[in-house]
Amino acid sequence: MSKRRFIRSSILAVCSFIRESVLSDAYAAKKGLLQARDARFKLLIIFTLLLAVLFSKNIIFILSIYGLCLLFALASSINIAFFLKRTWIFMPLFSLFIALPALFDIFSPGQPLVSFRIFGLSLIITRQGLMSAIFFFVRVLTSVSLCVLLALTTRHYVLLKALRIFRVPQVFVMTLGMCYRYIYLFIEVVQNTYLAIRSRVEFVSSLKHGQGIVAGNIASLWQRSYVLQNQVYSAMLSRGYMAEPKTMDEFHMSIKDWIFLAMAILILVLVYGKNII
Amino acid sequence: MAKTLFELKGVYFSYLGKFPALCGVDLSIPEGSRVSFIGANGCGKSTLLQMLDGLLFPDKGIIKAFGAELKENNFNNEKFAREFRQSVGLVFQNSDVQLFCPTVKEDIVFGPLQLGLDKQEIKKRLERLVDILEIKDLLDRAPHQLSIGEKRKVAIASTLIIEPKVLILDEPTAGLDPLTSRHIIDLLIQENIAGKTIITATHDLHIVEEISDQVFVFSREKRIVRNGVPSDILKDTELLEAHNLVHIHSHRHKDGVHIHAHTHLEHHAQE
Ligand SMILES: Nc1ncnc2c1ncn2[C@@H]1O[C@H](COP(=O)(O)OP(=O)(O)OP(=O)(O)O)[C@@H](O)[C@H]1O
Ligand SMILES: [Mg+2]
Repeated sequence: MSKRRFIRSSILAVCSFIRESVLSDAYAAKKGLLQARDARFKLLIIFTLLLAVLFSKNIIFILSIYGLCLLFALASSINIAFFLKRTWIFMPLFSLFIALPALFDIFSPGQPLVSFRIFGLSLIITRQGLMSAIFFFVRVLTSVSLCVLLALTTRHYVLLKALRIFRVPQVFVMTLGMCYRYIYLFIEVVQNTYLAIRSRVEFVSSLKHGQGIVAGNIASLWQRSYVLQNQVYSAMLSRGYMAEPKTMDEFHMSIKDWIFLAMAILILVLVYGKNII
Repeated sequence: MAKTLFELKGVYFSYLGKFPALCGVDLSIPEGSRVSFIGANGCGKSTLLQMLDGLLFPDKGIIKAFGAELKENNFNNEKFAREFRQSVGLVFQNSDVQLFCPTVKEDIVFGPLQLGLDKQEIKKRLERLVDILEIKDLLDRAPHQLSIGEKRKVAIASTLIIEPKVLILDEPTAGLDPLTSRHIIDLLIQENIAGKTIITATHDLHIVEEISDQVFVFSREKRIVRNGVPSDILKDTELLEAHNLVHIHSHRHKDGVHIHAHTHLEHHAQE
């Protein structure tokens, strides 16, 4: 029983997590510090901070930007636990492929800290390796957090429109928009299929059986969401869509937007200046 | 004699080149008329409506709209595309497809915004429709969370707000409660009186007479086998039976259960 329940709850949990974290506009609809910012400025501010993180060679500085990020999240009435979950979920992936190898002397020669043997291979973690791994980790964490912050506090339509204003090519923006809706439909189809299976057999009898059903269905799932996506596109055309979405939300800039942007630029300049000295 | 709005001659269409959906359709629809299409499941009604809306194009044969041939290339011309989308509106059979914005409100105003209508005007139209369709409470909700009937109302609003001259509806009353159905039909009749052309596909023979002056009957061979005034078509039990539009039905009258051919039309009125 517990296994069954596990399968059921894990499928539904994955769906609702994606829905909540990627697709939800709930946070964008709230009132808060970042939500009130003009999308164009927000894009610029986040971009400037990203550059600062990228250029900075000082770990304390990057950590303080991360702290700032968390403060922004708080001020934008984003649930901190949700925000952390949302950003940290990407970390193992990066760590595994990039930060982990960097630990060892094969990739980062230098002063040995720890050494051990696995499968007859002697591995040495170097001080330099450890530093660059930590550095990398913090940098990625901060960058991801900044992007997530932007995505969470901006309606995706508005974000796409702001991207267009900065002359990001049409094809790219349109593809992004399509991906977004595609994921959305895909999740919907997965959820419904799962419910349909359940309604017919009540439960998936074992993990293996469950995987079988999912594997057997995955091709047809993609197909179904593809057909749906085509129809959605027709429906958009039918209502006069011409490749460039228009929204009711006009951009509203205020003096605060300028102040925020100025601060971000100042940070970038400081980082840059420090690097040169 | 009213102007001809749509004209189809020998139209064939198949999905992906292998699933036939229309096999030789000829018809013409006059401006300002009320027309409906009936027929069994899968006989090509939805396909035809999407073709009238300039979303699908014939493999063979021609379709004329507003006096000129309708071709896919025409829509590359922005001015043409805008005018056409402004003039013809389609309510899809599957409302889920039609609603893709984060909130109901954004979904309803999507069309007029794309078409570049004045914001004040859009607000005015929105308020009016929200009143008529009684969907004020839904405005800030996400479309995918609504019930089927609520979704349909929102979908109808999102097309009506464009105020097209030609209104095409695919099963507008499926899944609606009787009172809401009534509202929608009244709304359509009013729009027609105001000069709009109303084109509907439906399985609901109850509404056919009210929403059409002319009925086209599709056969399973995916072409039109009859067309005429509703009263004639609805009387022809043999025709309706041959096209899955009536069924042998057992149900309860005052004198108990009995079985007879049933058109879903008049029997209760006779009791
Ligand atoms: N996306 C598609 N791909 C392949 N075949 C399709 C597709 N959509 C429809 N068809 C086929 O085209 C034919 C006509 O379908 P259509 O949806 O027009 O029927 P319909 O008259 O609207 O049916 P219903 O009353 O069930 O809504 C059907 O045989 C169907 O199988
Ligand atoms: Mg149909």
